[in-house]
Amino acid sequence: MKLRLLLFLSFFVLKTFSQDKFSISGYVKDTKNGESLIGATVYKLGSNVGASANEYGFFSLTLPKGEHIIAVSLIGYKTFTFSVNLDKNIIKNYELAEEGKQLDEVIITGEAEDKNIKSTEMGTTKLDIKQINKIPALFGEVDVVRAIQMLPGVTTVGEGASGFNVRGGNIDQNLILLDEAPVYSSSHLFGFFSVFNPDAVKDVKLIKGGIPSQYGGRVSSILDVRMKEGNSKKLSVNGGIGLPVFSRLSIEGPIAKDKASFIIAGRRSYIDALVKPFVKSTNPIKNAVFYFYDLTAKVNWRINDKNTVFASGYLGRDAFGAPGFKFNWGNTTGTLRWNHIFNNKLFMNTTAIYSNYDYLLDFKQESNNQQFNWTSQIINYSLKNDFSFYANSKNTIRFGAQALFYDFLPYNATGKFENTTIKFKADKRYGIEYSAYMGNEHKIRPRLTMEYGLRVSVYNYIGKGTAYTFGDTLSNEELPLKSSKKYENGQVMKAYVNPEPRLSVNYVINSFSSIKASYNRMAQYLQLISNTAASTPLDVYTLATNNLKPLLADQGSVGYFRNFKDNMFETSVEVYYKYLQNQLDYIDNANLFINPTVENQLVQGLGRAYGAEFYVKKNKGKLTGWISYTLSKTERLVNGISNDKWFFSRYDRTHCLNTVLTYELTKRWSVSTNFVLLSGTPATFPNSKISIQNLNIPYNTTGTRNNYRIPAYHRLDLGATYNFKKNETRKFKQNIVISVYNAYNRRNAYSVYFRTKQGSTFETEAVRFSVIGSIVPALTYNFNF
Amino acid sequence: MKNIIKLLFFTTGLFFLSSCEDVIQIKLDEGAKLYVIDAFVNDLRTNQTIRVVSSDNYFSNREAPPVSNAQVILKDLTANVQYNFTYTSNGNYVFPLTNADTIARINHQYELNVTIDGYVYSSLSLQKRTAVLDSISAVYNDGTAGFGPPSPFYNCFLWARDKADDNPDYYWIKTSRNDTLFDKPGDLNTAIDGTGGVVTNAGVDTLDFTPPAIFLGFQNYRSGDKCKVEIHSISRETNNFLFQAVAQIQNGGLFATTPENVRTNISTPEGAKTKAVGWFNMATVVSKIKIIP
Repeated sequence: MKLRLLLFLSFFVLKTFSQDKFSISGYVKDTKNGESLIGATVYKLGSNVGASANEYGFFSLTLPKGEHIIAVSLIGYKTFTFSVNLDKNIIKNYELAEEGKQLDEVIITGEAEDKNIKSTEMGTTKLDIKQINKIPALFGEVDVVRAIQMLPGVTTVGEGASGFNVRGGNIDQNLILLDEAPVYSSSHLFGFFSVFNPDAVKDVKLIKGGIPSQYGGRVSSILDVRMKEGNSKKLSVNGGIGLPVFSRLSIEGPIAKDKASFIIAGRRSYIDALVKPFVKSTNPIKNAVFYFYDLTAKVNWRINDKNTVFASGYLGRDAFGAPGFKFNWGNTTGTLRWNHIFNNKLFMNTTAIYSNYDYLLDFKQESNNQQFNWTSQIINYSLKNDFSFYANSKNTIRFGAQALFYDFLPYNATGKFENTTIKFKADKRYGIEYSAYMGNEHKIRPRLTMEYGLRVSVYNYIGKGTAYTFGDTLSNEELPLKSSKKYENGQVMKAYVNPEPRLSVNYVINSFSSIKASYNRMAQYLQLISNTAASTPLDVYTLATNNLKPLLADQGSVGYFRNFKDNMFETSVEVYYKYLQNQLDYIDNANLFINPTVENQLVQGLGRAYGAEFYVKKNKGKLTGWISYTLSKTERLVNGISNDKWFFSRYDRTHCLNTVLTYELTKRWSVSTNFVLLSGTPATFPNSKISIQNLNIPYNTTGTRNNYRIPAYHRLDLGATYNFKKNETRKFKQNIVISVYNAYNRRNAYSVYFRTKQGSTFETEAVRFSVIGSIVPALTYNFNF
Repeated sequence: MKNIIKLLFFTTGLFFLSSCEDVIQIKLDEGAKLYVIDAFVNDLRTNQTIRVVSSDNYFSNREAPPVSNAQVILKDLTANVQYNFTYTSNGNYVFPLTNADTIARINHQYELNVTIDGYVYSSLSLQKRTAVLDSISAVYNDGTAGFGPPSPFYNCFLWARDKADDNPDYYWIKTSRNDTLFDKPGDLNTAIDGTGGVVTNAGVDTLDFTPPAIFLGFQNYRSGDKCKVEIHSISRETNNFLFQAVAQIQNGGLFATTPENVRTNISTPEGAKTKAVGWFNMATVVSKIKIIP
């Protein structure tokens, strides 16, 4: 049925074909390293007829028969102009050369200068890795996710919290894609660093609103991270040595010039190795293990003009340990892609994806033969097909389909004590999500562009497994198990179907301002189970089941975009309203770990989030950067919690101010600064204490959740970069980055909790817990040749 | 389970050298007054105490305000006997027991009635069986593996056995050293069947007690110390309550859980102006003492 609808839509569009028009198509690449240039624009000079290169650098532009002057441009690159007599379809690749060094230093966006005005994208930010490199970072380590947290509408509950919150969404509501493979844990070291190695990242795009139909599966945002293909012209090495945390090294180069290339990039922390010589042999740190590493690799092979294949992979792990104790976790992803150009108008990408997240926890005591270990795992296998059909200069149609298989092991635990072994193993849980989409970017009038589309997702909770049925009880109580039914392999235990309409409209007022509006519905078939303030690596996801409905979100947003001074300043104001259904919450004292019937500990409720985001960005000049301010509110309504009234969510922050500025002092020196000012997150504080069995238990007689806020968060970071004089013959580039995180040593509260004063029977106190309680200086040396 | 998480975060917490905790001043609202009923009664042949107090402002530095005008009655519904507790001091209502008798009997159903200002606050509890306590063993440790200079000590281990059948049994293991009960939040030690409280709802029946249930007080003992252990039978709900209470008190660090009010099994009668919270559990107890050699 859905397929037929897609076909019908395709024919409807095909009809608009015109025979006296021809197209010019191909890839846009970088002259220097052969990397495809995402978002490069190809347009007829002096008109607003143009096309932009897709995520593989492919474009197709349809024009009437005849003589045209065509320009290929991308900010930071010299515009390439050529004239063409279009009497047949042309397929050709174009290479752009980077602009001179001087300009390169001050350009901080990789897009056409006025793309923010003309495209239908809203709530979307593309971060260039060069730009991220300049932001002063914790421990001097350039970080994609922490850079994203400086954008309007994006927050985190604090340092040490994994992931990020977008427009009032929980961290599990962000689809994080690394070369199209979903990444389940985006953090190393409990959120201090992201898993993305900046040396291997080409392009980062965050979509908060107006999410196009090709994306689905999470309700709040898409973080689309694209890896570099690897230099296809010459061998190149990038590296960095950081004090005190870790080092990076990447090598990229051609396998066959302009035909095939590779990149391999690795990082490892060595703080453990650095610390050990300085501690006494009796110190527990001496025998402790704590490190993380990641390895990112990609190869591509251009078979011919019409076919290119890519293979990319990621492997990362965090490990902690002490004698008798081991804890580690990590992601593994693999992507195989095939780009195929059917003809000058139809581009196809086929992707096979593998993604794995697992953790292991192990306690062992040799002396009395005791052991307890615990693992959990989530695996995804997926196959997807995406088509870009450049129907004509007015319509660009994208359509495709995906099948995504979830293979979950909630837990597998073994306890051993002398001769007794106890095993707890949950049944694996399986789900399969099918989706098909079609969207059209339609230039209706010269000033009016609409992108409309529909995604339909079908989810099946499948066997082999057990479906539990629970009886009713009072709200906020554990549901009694009524019955359970076993299902065989592949048998459908529960099915859900969700149509997800998407719409974005852009009305260009003039060459420097536009108004945009968007609506999207998103469906999500898995959610993170975590009732801790921050997500931990131990948290497990749960699939939608016969008891847990899929999470749904509707979001509408409106924005005004205006550029000043010949696109030197970009400004925007966006307002959004988001409504969520079936968001997970927990009954009081929920037992979420090693519990086969964990569903009866969960409740589902409503969420709403709304806000206004203000953004000013300076793209050119010696001073570049942005200031963003967000005013927002995020609430939940869950039966049985907080007196059945709306309450603030844990990640609600009324005011968020982020300032990121970089100043080019001289040709060699640049300095940068961040300033962050955020309202404190809500927290539940007691108004009483009750004494039972000599325990002074905090109690909140009003029953209102999140009735207080912890103190406001503010922080200043400073950074300076010194670029050494370039050795022209060897092309050896090097720089030193000095950074100071939390420059005025603020002890920002991560949480406030209440306890009995040590040594006292009745006296109680409030304790502020700060994850970063000092100034954190760092030094990083980077090189490239 | 929560013990494991605690240990885990303690261990990983070592590496967050920069993190810190400090006591801060916060102004909190005053909550409405609640009655707090603390009724853990057992079959030991010693005086049995039920405590009735009021809630207090969170930061008040005093013993909980006593409620002295209550009438406290424990009813053995199975045997149809009633025990009146009499007020002594500090909110304590006591039923004095001589060595000869007990008021708590296995498999009997009990009702607690606390009457204050004409309103009857009540609760029910079924007294469960307890485990078989074999012995306490003391293991010598030369103390070289720990911090600082070596200092020899003993670890005490509990040797106990659960009764086999399909019903999960819940136990509260209370340890004291030289008659000082380890009753700090971190001392809470419970077992589900024999599994040491690690796994709830596991659907297994373990016979021999396994760690961490076997660690007595998680403490060190020296030569001549008296280690005493009591295994109290508790209900599943009581086990959950104890964990919930401790979680609320030790809710610090990176992985603090959302604070919540502890559950209560005391019901407040309709029309009562003051709500009661608290807990009622009838326990069967086995006990052993070991003097460290």
